[in-house]
Amino acid sequence: MKRKLFVLILAGVSVLGVRAYAHHSFASTYLEDQKMTVEADVLQFLYRNPHSFLQLTSKDDKGKEITWAVEWAAGGQLGASGVQRDTLRPGDHVIVIGQPGRNPEDHRLRMINIKRPSDGWTWKGSFD
Amino acid sequence: MTFNKLSLSLAALLCVALPAMAEIDLSGSWAAINHEDSLERGGGPYPADWAGIPFNEAGRAKALSFTQSVISMPERICWFQTQWHIAAGPFSLRMWAVPDPLTGKVLAWMVGAWETRAPMTIYMDGRPHPGKNAPHDQTGFTTGGWNGNELIATTTHLKTGYIRRNGAASSDQATITTHFLRHGDMLTVALLMDDPVYLTEPYILTRSYNLSTNPVAIGGPPCIVGDEGVESGRVPHYLPGKNPYTGEMTKYYGIPEEAEMGGAQTMYPEYRDKIKDKFKLPAKCTLNCGGAGGN
Repeated sequence: MKRKLFVLILAGVSVLGVRAYAHHSFASTYLEDQKMTVEADVLQFLYRNPHSFLQLTSKDDKGKEITWAVEWAAGGQLGASGVQRDTLRPGDHVIVIGQPGRNPEDHRLRMINIKRPSDGWTWKGSFD
Repeated sequence: MTFNKLSLSLAALLCVALPAMAEIDLSGSWAAINHEDSLERGGGPYPADWAGIPFNEAGRAKALSFTQSVISMPERICWFQTQWHIAAGPFSLRMWAVPDPLTGKVLAWMVGAWETRAPMTIYMDGRPHPGKNAPHDQTGFTTGGWNGNELIATTTHLKTGYIRRNGAASSDQATITTHFLRHGDMLTVALLMDDPVYLTEPYILTRSYNLSTNPVAIGGPPCIVGDEGVESGRVPHYLPGKNPYTGEMTKYYGIPEEAEMGGAQTMYPEYRDKIKDKFKLPAKCTLNCGGAGGN
């Protein structure tokens, strides 16, 4: 059964082609074997290609403001999973779990999971 | 006599009906199979995995200075890759011929673009490449010709680009030779990179495609610049000896660091024998363990 499913998926990929992959390398950009949680407010949601970005703002231990850039799937991929350009709005308080960027000064994450506690809205998934 | 005339007529007919050279039709949508080098073409390679790249010292030094954050500089987010991205990227191909409207003769073959690569125009009309001082860009200048059923395209006048998406670079002196080989409903594309600045030998990659009735886009979605965490004016880089990610191939896969650093010898099968005593098979693969999520 698993083998049939694998063959079907492969056939599907072959027919549809491959779309919306990264313009950069994820393995080179993020620490894929680590996870990090950020609780912050939405600053801006860039719903775009080649990948969407969610800008968040929070404060560190000393009260200094930090802007986080959370990489997410391409607009088309997000749309297919129910995330629209107005799903998130500036000021929304969210909790994001992601893979941390290799370059700490970029304050960057690759999205794994996002939750908005105010209404329980959540998204979880993976993307290339 | 009558038989000889008939034979002659048939031979003449065949000469007229068949193209002067054994060219074949490459037009259509070619869906990438991506069964080879799936990590490199999918999520992307590790930051210091240059095994199999025939670097010289300059090529290795340039690669070691690279950090992926460079591609998030606002001016580089939508920067085109060179035509080598056909080999190193994951995408499918759309090909079509541009005919002379009067004679029907193919003037050029086109390979459609992606969001990160310009279209490739393969001029088939015998025009020469521009002079050595002509401008270079990511698209380059490409001419082609038939070798039997194989279309061979030669691209020059490129700007610097990537031969692997982790900073392994090609220079503006590089030449890409692309072989298009059709086998029924399959297409194999073999690309050779000759680069006198960063490589000691040609670097070769092949890819395979299936003919598809599902149209492959000829341009890809538009790329839009946005904040990816690198502010304008900052140029991320590693100084010599300061790349913190060398050794990851040893950590995750037991591959010796000398193999990770590339060089022509790492391209050849016999190199495995040379490093076999230094290779330690990990007890368990924990990260990116092969295609289709296999462990």
